Parts: sequence; structure tokens; C-alpha cells
Amino acid sequence: MTSAIRTEKLGKTYYSGFFRFPYPALMDLDLDVPEGSAFGFVGPNGAGKTTTIKTLMGLQRPTAGGGWIHGVPISDPASRLRVGFLPERPYFYEHLSASEFLDFYARLGDVPSSERGGRVAKLLERVDLGRFRDVPLGKFSKGMLQRAGLAQALIADPDLLVLDEPMSGLDPIGRALVRDLIVEERNAGKTVFFSSHILSDIEAICDRVAMVVGGKLRGQGKVSELLEGAVQHVEIGLRRGDERETRNVPPAESNAALVKAHGEGWTIVNVHPVSKTLEQLLLDEVERARPVVTKRLGVLA
Amino acid sequence: MRPANLPGLAFARIYAVASNTFREAVRDKVLYSILFFAVILLLASLGLREVALGDRDKVVRGVGLGGISVIGAIIAIFLGVGLVWKEIERKTIYTLASKPLPRWQILLGKYLGLWATLAAEVGILTVMYTLIIGYQQGMPGAGVYLAMGMLMLELTLVTAFATLFSTFASPMSASAYTLCVYVIGHFADDLYTFGKASNNPAFQSFTLAMYRVVPNLGMFNVRTEAVHGMAIPGTEVMWAAVYALGYTAAVLAVAMAVFERRDFK
Repeated sequence: MTSAIRTEKLGKTYYSGFFRFPYPALMDLDLDVPEGSAFGFVGPNGAGKTTTIKTLMGLQRPTAGGGWIHGVPISDPASRLRVGFLPERPYFYEHLSASEFLDFYARLGDVPSSERGGRVAKLLERVDLGRFRDVPLGKFSKGMLQRAGLAQALIADPDLLVLDEPMSGLDPIGRALVRDLIVEERNAGKTVFFSSHILSDIEAICDRVAMVVGGKLRGQGKVSELLEGAVQHVEIGLRRGDERETRNVPPAESNAALVKAHGEGWTIVNVHPVSKTLEQLLLDEVERARPVVTKRLGVLA
Repeated sequence: MRPANLPGLAFARIYAVASNTFREAVRDKVLYSILFFAVILLLASLGLREVALGDRDKVVRGVGLGGISVIGAIIAIFLGVGLVWKEIERKTIYTLASKPLPRWQILLGKYLGLWATLAAEVGILTVMYTLIIGYQQGMPGAGVYLAMGMLMLELTLVTAFATLFSTFASPMSASAYTLCVYVIGHFADDLYTFGKASNNPAFQSFTLAMYRVVPNLGMFNVRTEAVHGMAIPGTEVMWAAVYALGYTAAVLAVAMAVFERRDFK
């Protein structure tokens, strides 16, 4: 399977203050986003998610390593030819109406003039903004802006959608709309790469996920694989006559526990390894990375 | 895959950015306040006829042309210094610079959009001037329109400087820098004369170097000739055009290089 996004040792260090103190926001990121996948990019605030996305989108230059989109280096604007991007907390031209706004981005995305009008109208309907096509964006609510932003990302019919926190600050209806849209795009064979704090959404939508904490990648792969390797405990269901019991034992002790239960005369009804949720997995990684993050922040102190 | 750098596509993208910049500028209420002020100034110049000494008609014509020149420079600086800064501050640059167009195309598009706004403003003020002078003194001579053309050349260059400063400085600082260029540029000839009058060779070299570096905006001022109906040599106009376009291209090239290297955090 070819990669929609690939990075090798990608790094970004910011320099601040008069003495240009270094602050490494991203280190040695090796990312591989296969084409056609819905890929979740998770991590706590300040983990380096937005830095990664901005670097991939050509808004910042990497200070180490490299990245490729559809095989084209990210330093080349052509790498973004088949890409739709929605930044975190979108800011748009307030003087434009919704349809003018989409038409502008359609022009920048090289959409032929014969197709622009139809595509703008269709997309506005798709994000439920058809009634507001002539309303200036300055009068839009946050949720409406987010939807307009999504339409902007989709206007050139991209093969790869890059969405930075697309559900942040949305009400449940808005979140559902965004979620449905991501699923539709994934089902249409498009690649969707998005960051989110809402891990339940990531678990529900994504087939793959990458976890970044303290500027470093802490794991990536299929969601099921990541959670499989993170078995929290083994749940053993037992029966002895009318008596029933459930025992939770650490994975390493499960065999011994089974032998012991058998020796006590219990019939083993089921053995169920209970995995951590993505959220627990992330919290563990944050805890594990704490000394590194503290040290990293200490550079600035 | 579609190539990103076909000339036709580049033109279409630059045009898209330019038209969006133009649309944003003409929907800005502050611009209309400046324009309104300019019209008041032009109308007020009519009243000067009653109080001026000497050739009253020429005073009115001169004040009108001078007013348009100053208002043009104010608009050029006001819009130019926020040209790139506003995109970064409002974070609209995120969606713009992430599109498959090189950054120089964004900058050129924005510059051309601003230039078109200025041309429209100067055009409106020229029509107003023609109507006012035409009503009071009869149709102005061709020299007046040549003076307006020279003013546009000057604004082409001033706007390029404002755009350059906008790529790295806040509007307040960029306004100060552009104003410095504008003022020094209008005194470039005096700088040269001042150096010549000095007996100190080091000072002479310094003023000569300064004269060669700063833009000579005085060469675009043919308003006196226009007001007095004097001939304006064609070679002078042609040289001014070559100078303005060449200098503008150089300043924009520097602006593009600065813009290319910027990180948008």
C-alpha cells in the first residue's frame, strides 16, 4: 500500500527570546499514513500535533528530517495539489459570503470554471449551509465557520483530507455532521488524517492511529493492534454448581490463575482479556513521557 | 498528477488572490472614509479661489493635484502595510499558504490586488477633479492626466515598499518605515545637492551612496508642469516608468524572499 503521508525523522525546533533558546516541538517523527485510511493523530495539548500538521502543509519549514505527501516532498507546493486542509479554529475572510469564499478556494485549487458553481452549491448543501450562501462569513457562528471550513477543504475534491481538531468546540449535532463527513470520505476511498482530543471519535472512526506525546511519536498502527498490546487485565468467569464468580488477574498471571481455579473445583466459563481504551493508553504514555517533557520545558526555564 | 507550475494556472491563481484582495479593500469602510475626506478636500480647493493670491485658477489646480497625491500615498501606505500582516494576524494565511501555489504567487497576487485598488481610487479622484475643475475653469489639459499617470508610477513603488515591510513588521512599524522611504524619497534630489555643496569628501560619498540607494520619488512629480501647462518631455515619462517598474520588481523580489522564509506559527 502506498503512503498518502510519510515522514522520516521529521523535526521542528522553535527558537525564542533574545538569546534564541531552542524549544524542540517535534522530534524524529516517522509517520506512515496509508492511502485510503482514516488516520487519527492523538496527543495532549502541546504534544506537537498542530506543529506536525503545519509542517506537512508547508506553513512551517522543518528543522530536521523530511516529509512526503503522495511521494512529493513537502517543500514543493505540488505536494498539496490533491490535499484539502482545515486548520484548527478556522479563520476566514469575513468580507466574503459563503459562496464567494468557496469559489475563491476553488480557483486556488485549480477547479475548472465550468465546474465551480455547481461544486460550490453542492458542497454548501452537504455541510448544511445552502441557505446561507450569500451571508458574509463575519456573521457566521463558530459551528457554521467550521462547516464552511470543511467545505473549503473539500472543494477541489482532494484525495487526502488533513483536518486539525475538526470537532473541537462543536455541539453534538456539528460533531455528528463532521464525523459522518469523515466516514463518507473514507468510504469513498479518500485518505483522512485528523487530529482530535475526542478519543471516542477517533476509536469510532479511525482504522489507524498515531500517538504523539512530548513532541515524540509513542506508537502508531491499527487501533485494534495498539489496544491488543495494551491488555489491562484478564477477566476469568467461573462457575461451581450454582455459585458464580469473576476474577480479574494481570495478563502475566492468567495461566497460573486458571490452574488455581481449576484446582479449587471451578469450571471456567470464559476468559476475556480486557484492553485499555485509547484514552487510558494515551494517559499512560503521557505519564511515561512526563520526565522527558519536564526536561524539555526546563530548557526554557 | 496535475503540474503545479503551468503558466496558465499560475496566472489564474495570482488573479484569484488579486481579485480577493481588491474585493476585501473595496469592502473596507475605512477606505470610504479616506475617499470621502479626499472629495471634501477637492471641493474645499474650490473655495481657495476666493482667498488665493496670484493666478487663482492655478492655485486651485495645484492644490487639487497635490491633495490627490497625498491621499493616494495615505491609501497606499494604509492598505499596503497590512497586506501580508493581516493575513498572518487573522490566520487566514493558514488556508491560503497551504494551497498548491508557491508563496511568491500569493505575494504578487496581493500586491496586484492592492495596486488595482489604488488605480481605482486615483481614477475616481481624477474624475472628481475633472468635474470640479471642468465646472470652474473648463476641461483640464492633458498634462494633468500625465501627472496622474506619474502619480500611479510613484504609488506603484511606494506600495511595493509597504508590501515589503508588511512581510516582517507590524502595521505600526511598517507604516513608519514606509513613511520614511516616502519622505526621504521625495528629498532624494536635495540629498544629492546637499552633498555636492559640502567640502567633505566622506560626506559627499555618503550622500551620493544614499542618493543611489533611496528611491527618487521626486522624479514622478510633474504637477507643477501640469498646472502651468508646460510641456512634459516624453523621455522623462518613459525613464520614470522604467525606473518605477525596475525598482518595484527589485523591492518585490526582496519581499518574496522574506515571505518565502517565514514560518506561520
